[in-house]
Formats: sequence, C-alpha cells, structure tokens
Amino acid sequence: VFVIPPLAVVLILLLGPVVFLSLYSLNLRTNIPGTPTALDWSNWQDFLFGQGNPFRGRFFYSLEITLLVSVATTAGAYPLAYYLAFIARRFRYPLLLLLIAPFFTSYLLRIVAWSDVMLNDNGVVNQVLWALHLETRGTAVGWLLYSNFSIFLVLFYAWIPFVALPIFAVLENMDHRLIEAATDLGASRVSAFWRVTFPLSLPGVISAFVFVLIPTTGEFIAPLYVGGPGNQLFGNEIQSFFGSSPNWNYGAVLAIALIATVLVLMLLFGRFLNTDLRQGVEPAR
Amino acid sequence: VLASCGGTAQNAGAATPTPTARPPITAESGQLSVLEWSGYEAAGTKAQTNGLTAGKQYTDAYGTSGITYSYITNDDQALQKATSGGPFDVIHPCHENLQDYVNRGLVQPWDTKLLPSFSELNPFLVKAGQWNGKQYLIPWDWGYGSLLYRADKIDAADATGWELAWNPKYAGKVSLWNGASTNFEIAALKLGINPKNMDTLSSSQVQLAKQALIQQKPLNKLYWDSEYSQEQPNFQSGTVWITYAWQDSLVSMKAAGLNAAFLTPRQGRLSWFCGFMLGAKTQNYYHAHKYVESFINADACVQMTNLYYYGTANTNVTPDKIQNQDLAASLDLGNPRAIVSGNNHLQSWSPNRSALELAWQEVVAS
Repeated sequence: VFVIPPLAVVLILLLGPVVFLSLYSLNLRTNIPGTPTALDWSNWQDFLFGQGNPFRGRFFYSLEITLLVSVATTAGAYPLAYYLAFIARRFRYPLLLLLIAPFFTSYLLRIVAWSDVMLNDNGVVNQVLWALHLETRGTAVGWLLYSNFSIFLVLFYAWIPFVALPIFAVLENMDHRLIEAATDLGASRVSAFWRVTFPLSLPGVISAFVFVLIPTTGEFIAPLYVGGPGNQLFGNEIQSFFGSSPNWNYGAVLAIALIATVLVLMLLFGRFLNTDLRQGVEPAR
Repeated sequence: VLASCGGTAQNAGAATPTPTARPPITAESGQLSVLEWSGYEAAGTKAQTNGLTAGKQYTDAYGTSGITYSYITNDDQALQKATSGGPFDVIHPCHENLQDYVNRGLVQPWDTKLLPSFSELNPFLVKAGQWNGKQYLIPWDWGYGSLLYRADKIDAADATGWELAWNPKYAGKVSLWNGASTNFEIAALKLGINPKNMDTLSSSQVQLAKQALIQQKPLNKLYWDSEYSQEQPNFQSGTVWITYAWQDSLVSMKAAGLNAAFLTPRQGRLSWFCGFMLGAKTQNYYHAHKYVESFINADACVQMTNLYYYGTANTNVTPDKIQNQDLAASLDLGNPRAIVSGNNHLQSWSPNRSALELAWQEVVAS
C-alpha cells in the first residue's frame, strides 16, 4: 500500500511526458495554437522510410559516436579503477574523492571551460603547443574545437569518473585470494589478470559501459558547445525542434525514436545491471 | 499630464484599449517576467553587464529584484517560448512575427497614453508596430544584418556579396547564425532571388536555398546561437573571420582592436526592427508600461545608440547626439526609413515559416 503513491508519481512523471510526446508525434496535438490536429503518420513515415532522411542519418551517426565514446571511456576507466583498487591502497579513497572533485561544479561550466579556456584558438592547449614549438605561434590546431574530437574528449572527460566507479566497486570487493591462488599455481601476473581478475570484473565493466552508453545516446549539451555544424548529435536535433526551430510534431517523432532505442538498450544490458557489483561474480543468468 | 503626452496626429490613429477597471500600480506585484535578448536587460540588474543604461528609470523607482529575464536567441524561438512558456509581462521580439503573437492571443495592445515618450517615436515604425489598428508593438531598436569580416584576412575582391560565406578559400573560418528564416533570406539573396520575395519563397525556391545552405555548411566552424558567448568571442579570438552579425559586433570588434568590416553586399543588407509587446495575461499592466517607458525615452535611446550603434525609434536621437559621426553616417542612423531605404531588405513575416524551419533542420542534420 505504501508503495502505491510513489509508484503513481513515478508513473505519471515518466509516462505522462511520453504519452504527450506520442500524441505530438501523431499530430494529435500541436504547439501552434489554431493549427488543426488529426491522426497523421507522415512524420513517422518520413523519418523511418523517407529517402535520404537526414535525421535518420544523424541518428545512426550519433549511435556510432555514442558507442565509440562508451567503449573508449570504459577502456580508459579500467586502469584507473584497477590502480585505485589494487595499487593505491590507503590512498584509494582520497584519490577517488579527487577523481570526482570536478563534479562538484556544474556540467555546463565544465564544458564551457573546455570550450573557452582549453581548446579555443587562443586556449591553453594551443598556447602549450606554441610554447613547445610543436605548432607555429598564432596558428591554431583546427580540429581541437568544434569537431568530433572535441565532442569525444569532453564526453570522455565527463563520464570517466562515473564509469570508473562500478569497475572499482567490483575490483575492490573481489576475492583477492583467487588471484593469489592463480599466481601460486604458476600463472604470471598478466595471465592471472586476463584469466581471473578481468573475467570476474566483467559485470562492473558492462555496468560501466551501460552507465555511459544510455545517457550519451541523448546527449546534446556537449555538441552544442564544442561541436561544429557537422558534429551535432541526434539529441541536438530534438532540442532544436523544441526550441530554436520549433516543430514539436517532428521533434516528438525523434524523441520517441530515441526513447525506444534507449529502452532496447536497457533490455539488452539490463540483466547485467541486476548483478550485485559487490560480489564480483559472473553475470546473472 | 499623461494625456498631453499622447501620440502625434499620425500616431493617434492607433486605437488604444478601452479603459477597464485595473488595479492601480500600487496593487500590482511588480514581479515582471521579461522575454528578452541577452544584452538588453535593464540597467541596475545583475544581468546587465554591457553598460546599457536603458531601464534605469524603472529600476531606480521599483528596484531590480522583481524583474526576471528569460532569454531568446532567434525570433522563431521567441515566438515559441512566448507560446509555450511564460506568461510574460513584456516581450522584446522583432516585428516580423507580430501577427502571430496577436493571432495566438499572446499579447494585448499598449495604452500609448501611459507612455510619455510615445509621441517622440518614429511614425513609420509606430505604424509598422500596429495590427488591426492597435499598437501591439512599441518600436525601440533597429539595425542591419550582414557579414562581419576580418579586413586583414579577407581579400577585398572577395568581400562584395553574400557569396563570401560560400567562398571555399575561407573554409572553417565562417560562422552563420542558427536562425532559420535569416539563413534562407541570405541564401535567397545569394541565389539572386528578387529580395522582395525573400520571405515568400516558393517551394522550389526553398529547395534551392536549402541546397545552397547544405553546400555552404561544411565551410562553417559553427552555427552560433549566442552573440556574446559565441559569435563575438570566436571572431575576436580569430577562430572565425567571417560571421553573420549585427552592427553592434562591428563596434565591439573595432573597440577590441580588430580590423573588422561590415559587408555591404551588392545584393543588399538585411534589416530589422524590434520592440516591446505587452503580455496578454500580464498582472503588471502599469509596471509593464513604466518599464517600457524607461527604455524608449530619449536619454535611454541616445545611450543605447552610442553603445551598440543601433538605430532607435526615438526621433529625438538626432545624428548630432551620436558620438562617432562617421559610423553613424555609414549606418545611415539619421534616416528614419533607413531599414527600407536603398539596398536594405527588411526581414518580414513569412507565410511558410514552418516549412523554412523544417528545411533548416534538414540543413543542420544533413
């Protein structure tokens, strides 16, 4: 009985907007007063089957970027988590705190810092390159900002601490006697890692991958500030349809398509999220 | 006293609403919600960091704590925010979507008798701010849209028309505005379409313009949304050499020591005028009038012109009051009909704006 009120609130807050979006996507509602509404699938048909539809193309492009960022961030976070769990010893919690310290400031401010302080033509990175004579003074590296590189870098930076946490949790709580047993039985450190440590940490790795994959699928802030015209992600299209070039009906089609994609990803990876990360055991069957 | 400050003979043609029983200003909360462009906040508010003194009369009298600003970055967005957000007491859009604001029931006519400076406003702009004979828009600022470019980086021979933004020589150094209607107007002018038709493009012309913008897209470093946090910083840092801009950017970039020039395209510049609208649901009717009066009075307008070098609607801002006479002359600031004179093309209402917005989205996504 006590669960019903919060459950109702969650359902209303989660499903209500989706229902409204669905109505917009089918032209049963409109954001322009006075515009007639009637069931119309044409926006869906255009998005799904329209020849050379640019929004569909942007959708797949965004998925590629998202996958790339997720894989790279997870791969980058693993050594970090490993260092914290196995090498840092008594410094691991202070170091963990340092790792997440930037997140006490707003995400937007950190992105603007990358854009305006670090990567722009007179930014820190170019200044360092000039000081080291790796680039002619006054000549900025063109792909540092408003590029795929800058989007990738900012998303990598933004997500790596979060991604390191579930891996760290698994490694930290792993039964270290198994690794000792492997080395006692003659396994090298590398072999013990690949045959014992890594397989046991997979639930954390997959959880970490999902942690970054799902939110970045709808990312729009980072591309908005550090992406160029050719690097905007699917989330930017949705944002623009609801903001600067308003067409909520078409925007709702894109938003529902994105929600459906995230749901599919959740179903695909959800089983791994059920695993108790502290156990460091194989994924749930 | 207020009646004596009413409109001129011509302005008096604008019907004012029948007086209705409204609570006096002392009974209003004074919590003003304003939909505004960045840089135009009232003097004294924390948000006003550019040095504009307009609005000072109001904030001196009523303080700053009651004013809340919401921001717009283009006119399509302004209309959408006014429709789905708010309600706003005062809105500062440009004139082209005036009829949409009225038809959507978002605004109500001003009582021009409550605006002592109304009689000083440019009759041409006042007339253009009317719809169905009622004064829905109080004109305030006007200016031009063109390409701002680095004269020390761009060959003079290349800087003759809008095609400068399409010149592959400057790939990666161009930045157009993320404004759907404006970019289609630019593309139309570049394609040689009659400027009179730039806001009434046929379907085939929209497709042509869209293709031209898709062709131009790779040359852009970015499409800017914010003048002060994107357009001007990127131009100043040298990240871009050619950007769509309004004339205040010319002033700012020259002040920053850059060799900047404001293109006079052979196809003509774009021109615009903006002003204040009164929210239909405002509970601060008299506060809203006081607020707008503090912007349209001559002192505020002179200072705004000397800060941004935009034209103002107040006819008491004569050329002799403008500090940089050469710049004022080059921008024709003394001409009350400058925005429709010569080779200037006033941005106007587009009957197929939805199609343009979708086409622009396709350009961005392509």
